[in-house]
Amino acid sequence: MTASEVAPPRRVLHAEWSALAALFALTVRQHTHGRRLLVLALLYLIPCALAVLLRGVSRAPADALEFALVLTLLPHGLAPLTALLYAAGVVSDEVEEQTLTYLLLRSVPRWELYLTKLLATLCVTVVLVSTAVLALYAAIYAGTPEFWSVALPRAGVVIGVMALAQFGYCALFGFLGLVTRRSLVGGIAYIVSVEGVLANLDFVGRSLTVVYYVRTLALRWLDLPAEQLRQCQESWGMTEMEKLPSSGSCVLIVLGVGAVVAAVSALRFARSEFHVKTPGSD
Amino acid sequence: MTPIIEFDGVSKWYGDVIGLNKLTLHVPAGVTGLLGPNGAGKSTFLQLATGQLRPSQGTVRVLGQGVWDNPALNRLIGLCPEQDAFYEWMTGHDFVRTCARLSGMGRREATAAADRAMQLVGMTENMNRAVKGYSKGMRQRTKLAQALVHQPRVLFLDEPLTGTDPVARRDLIDVIRALGASGCSVVVSSHVLHEIHSLTSRIVLLHRGRLVAQGHVREIRDLIDKHPHRIVLVCDKFRELASKLATCADVDGIKFLDRESGLLVETRQPDTFYARLPGLALSDGLALREVYSEDDNLEAVFKYLVNR
Repeated sequence: MTASEVAPPRRVLHAEWSALAALFALTVRQHTHGRRLLVLALLYLIPCALAVLLRGVSRAPADALEFALVLTLLPHGLAPLTALLYAAGVVSDEVEEQTLTYLLLRSVPRWELYLTKLLATLCVTVVLVSTAVLALYAAIYAGTPEFWSVALPRAGVVIGVMALAQFGYCALFGFLGLVTRRSLVGGIAYIVSVEGVLANLDFVGRSLTVVYYVRTLALRWLDLPAEQLRQCQESWGMTEMEKLPSSGSCVLIVLGVGAVVAAVSALRFARSEFHVKTPGSD
Repeated sequence: MTPIIEFDGVSKWYGDVIGLNKLTLHVPAGVTGLLGPNGAGKSTFLQLATGQLRPSQGTVRVLGQGVWDNPALNRLIGLCPEQDAFYEWMTGHDFVRTCARLSGMGRREATAAADRAMQLVGMTENMNRAVKGYSKGMRQRTKLAQALVHQPRVLFLDEPLTGTDPVARRDLIDVIRALGASGCSVVVSSHVLHEIHSLTSRIVLLHRGRLVAQGHVREIRDLIDKHPHRIVLVCDKFRELASKLATCADVDGIKFLDRESGLLVETRQPDTFYARLPGLALSDGLALREVYSEDDNLEAVFKYLVNR
């Protein structure tokens, strides 16, 4: 070995963990500093305000509001949109802002870098969606006798189901952000066409959507009263419970597919080049 | 001398555009200047040497190791990138400390390393201010601090003096020289020969992705000094500055630029001219805001070298 050559530094596990913890914290801080948080907070306020308004003005029943806002608007619109806004930018935001260089130059394998950023993004979106769920249940049930006995346990279940959905959505939109520059447009098109339209068609294709498993778990776990359960089943075209996948299958499918997509994305990120354009276009 | 950086038949294409063209170059330890006009391939060279890009052809080795997909090597190298990019909402210290943490340091170790690095680049006083409020010089110093916070063995600096005021330029040159003297190998890119000359006498010339010349700065200087150097000065009192410069024997010509407060000065004695700048910047409230060299003269020399 010549004087200029050095033995490759060994991977020091605690140093790598320290770097990954720092990257996790950095990503969380990035997400909480952007305008996106403000936009989402405003978006989440709309259904909450709507629930308070409808309860006060038209005395809308709580179960109808819960169905419309918590079980429809949230999983179909707000939750995937939250995942899209954050996960699609996991890498592309760093490329756009030209800060990716600072991350690629560190002694962390690229695939770990991607997965850590994705995990931090998942945590942020889960916290946001969970807050939205709690706020919605509070807006719908606050001041009623069912608030403590019904609403809060259901909120817990919905938070669990939505966290699972966020895992699938974040993995998917993270991948989308890596393969196209128009990830926001593509993501919105996906949310509308696949998670919106396809999930409502009663045929095997809907088992490709995240919403299908969210709905199945909601039907199995939420312990809804018979009337409310029937309303959900009819609206979603899922009247035959025995034909729906088991809860365990739903969880495994979403986790499994999400993990595979995340792994493929990490691999793609590890093999990709990110050419930074310099002021002189050098 | 044994090379620390080895490029063997390296080419890099971006679609139809050639970034580097069959470059074979061995850079020894010490301070080396990478000189070339915009588009010469300097940044591509640095991005390949730091493992951000994969060569389309050929091999790149730093400290005897392949650089692509070699995160362990990153502990031994540092890069001060050209792009003026930061996490703007952070303070300078927070930014450098975060970079230290990303290099695997613990919290206390990272804080101490960031303190040291910021002190080294003369940013201690301003390190707790938000980066978004920094001047160009402060931003360059902070970028340099993040590159050396983990004490790398090889440091790559991409146009570190661009857009800085004369005082910051002087300070940064001193810091880079000190790093070289301390045993750190430094590769510094620039399109201004004078900048490189103030750092090292060993230079590599690139033009359109190819190695044009490599060697002692004197040989290149002789070629370049046949052409007038063109230097842009930005100053609020640019008319007063122009009248002051008009009396200097080393100034061959002065032109007012279309852009506000700008002067284009031509000189065949750049050393004398640059030596005068810090004094000018401090005297009579002239307060130079920006100094940079147009690379037309360099382009002419490159054309000469390529076509000879």
